[in-house]
Amino acid sequence: MAFVDLSFPDELERFGVSTTLDCFNCGTCAAICPLIYEHFPRQMIRYAQIGARDRILENGVELWRCLHCGLCTQTCPREANPGELILGLRRYVLHHWRRDGHVPS
Amino acid sequence: MEEKRNLASDGSDAPRVGIYICHCGGNISDHVDVEVLCEKAEKIPGVAVARRNMFMCSDPGQELIMEDIRSGKVNRIVVASCSPSLHEMTFRSALERAGANPYVYEHANIREQVSWVHHGEPATEKAFQLISAAAAKARLLEPLEPLRVEARRHATVIGAGIAGLRAAVDLADRGFQVALLEKTPFAGGRVARLDRLAPTGEAASEAILSLARRVMEHPAITFYPCAQVVGFDGYVGNFSLELQVEPPAAEDAVPPSNLPPAGDGEPVFVPSRGVLLGPLPTEKGRIQVETGVVVLATGFKPYTPRKGEYGYGELPEVMTLPQFIEALRDAQADGSVLMLSGRPIRSIAMIHCVGSRQIPGIHEEDASGYLNEYCSRTCCSATLFAANQVRTRYPETRVFEFYRDIRAYGRGQEELYQEAARNKVLFLRFEPEDPPRVERSDGSSGTPLVVRVKDALTFGEEVQVPADLVVLAVGMEPTGIQDLVDLMKLPVGADRFLLEVHPKLRPVELATTGLLLAGTCQAPMDVSEACNAASAAASKAASLLAKGYVQLDPFVAEVDMEKCQGTGSCVEACLADGAIELVDVVVNGETVRRARVVQALCLGCGACVAACPSGAIQVKGSTLAQFEAMVDAIASHEAA
Repeated sequence: MAFVDLSFPDELERFGVSTTLDCFNCGTCAAICPLIYEHFPRQMIRYAQIGARDRILENGVELWRCLHCGLCTQTCPREANPGELILGLRRYVLHHWRRDGHVPS
Repeated sequence: MEEKRNLASDGSDAPRVGIYICHCGGNISDHVDVEVLCEKAEKIPGVAVARRNMFMCSDPGQELIMEDIRSGKVNRIVVASCSPSLHEMTFRSALERAGANPYVYEHANIREQVSWVHHGEPATEKAFQLISAAAAKARLLEPLEPLRVEARRHATVIGAGIAGLRAAVDLADRGFQVALLEKTPFAGGRVARLDRLAPTGEAASEAILSLARRVMEHPAITFYPCAQVVGFDGYVGNFSLELQVEPPAAEDAVPPSNLPPAGDGEPVFVPSRGVLLGPLPTEKGRIQVETGVVVLATGFKPYTPRKGEYGYGELPEVMTLPQFIEALRDAQADGSVLMLSGRPIRSIAMIHCVGSRQIPGIHEEDASGYLNEYCSRTCCSATLFAANQVRTRYPETRVFEFYRDIRAYGRGQEELYQEAARNKVLFLRFEPEDPPRVERSDGSSGTPLVVRVKDALTFGEEVQVPADLVVLAVGMEPTGIQDLVDLMKLPVGADRFLLEVHPKLRPVELATTGLLLAGTCQAPMDVSEACNAASAAASKAASLLAKGYVQLDPFVAEVDMEKCQGTGSCVEACLADGAIELVDVVVNGETVRRARVVQALCLGCGACVAACPSGAIQVKGSTLAQFEAMVDAIASHEAA
């Protein structure tokens, strides 16, 4: 994996997310998420924290699994607003999708 | 008082033993037939009464015993219950409150030694044997008087770090003379090398100065800088220490501008060194200190990483947290980027648990074969605190923390962790078997170093962090005080810190009465915990010395001068240095050698009793005759 890039959490602020680094990776969001999908949304949030842009764009489709039920945001012990973070990542992916050639073939 | 105490040897002094059997809720009575036991015990020769109770240690249980004593029904007591370490003192004090001598008491352990390990008929049998033996001994018990040892109203504190200063001030405030010893020229110890203290942010220099001022002003405290303890003997209330003082070594010489101005009583703080509290010795010398208690406040030293451990000693951009704290203190206070030695530091990688929580088979032992398996407790908060300082003072400097677990346990410390997240510190987590690797960068990172880690938070993927600086959060090790350990026979734990008697019930006492522990010589602690421990040690010391004498149990050896032939075998057998000595006495106009016991030093172990060829030495409260009676009681029972 490329270098950790802390400019990414800063960049996400333009997409309406200011709590990226508040998360302390407890996994409560993944446990409560009704999707029962492996590590969602925790893994995405971690990729955002370390600035793994490629991983986020590669796996962008996953972001659209979210039902926006709000359970993760309700239970997050750090009030890091994981639901909103996922929505912010959607906005980021949309913004970069076509330009960066991440259209699934 | 005298009259009450003599109850056991008053006019009607035939031994009348009372046996008190405890059910311990059901702990005992579920397995031992206490009813049968009670009936049988009543028939043991010399037993006046046998009773039982659900909880003998309860108030009604104790009252049962006290009532029998007051009415004169019994004058020797046996309680059959739990381990004597739990309740022997409880029942001795009940005897005392009923006006009896507290030493006409014998304890039979029928819980740990019987009901918890045996069941049914054999359990009851064994309980009866133990009670018979105890009753046989009880019949021969004599009233004893506790030893009284005169105590000097003087305390010595070894080490003038924050804990030593705290203990010295507390003791002096309670009206004791205090000698405060320090091997360096400075007071303040390790705290003097810190800048601001986590989690509150107060200045370390102020914390030291506020105590140092009181030490300086207090007429009862004598400060001995540049002093080492080279001689130690005596016992609680009457220790004597020999100090070696030497003029400071050249590297400790202080620039004259830092010396206190003449006539000004204000102590001077020298950053990274500590506080000068007065003139330093100009020539070598020896000083004798006579004292009542000794408080050990010898402190800790930070772990020194091995050469090559996370690049330490090989890559100049790698330093320890204590070094970084000093560098940060001396750095230009503002600017968007932290500058160290003219170099911009845009990215700092801080690695936790260096030299702490080491695991056999994973970590390498040090040169003497030790692993620091303990958690040093303070480094998490200190690292978080330093990270927050960097982030708030230099917004363009990024901080990455590599941790195994965050243990921010005290008041205000979890908040440091939350604050670090708000300050956009990035945390990466590693497993002990896959520690981060600190490497020289190939240039692609734009920094001199790269730290690679299998990040557990990114589900084990390898993550690379560019770093201008790597800071190692090193743990604590006890200061090397082997000389004191040998000299004062101090107990040392497996972790090499000094070991208290009991971690919860006697947390600042050492096994030798009169030796106390203050601060990080005992375990890793932060400043408030060290001061807590120091104040605890001071109040323990004060309670030992306050009466002007110390009371000790009378279970010590006693020489029968009629029988002693002065062979000296007891002196050879003795385990406590100086507890038995040979002295010249005049018998029938002839000078002969005889053994004499120094009661305050005697451990009451009985090694001398076994060695004496003429049976002239006995341990009070455990005489040979008493033991023989116990054996007879058990043997006769076996025969029956």
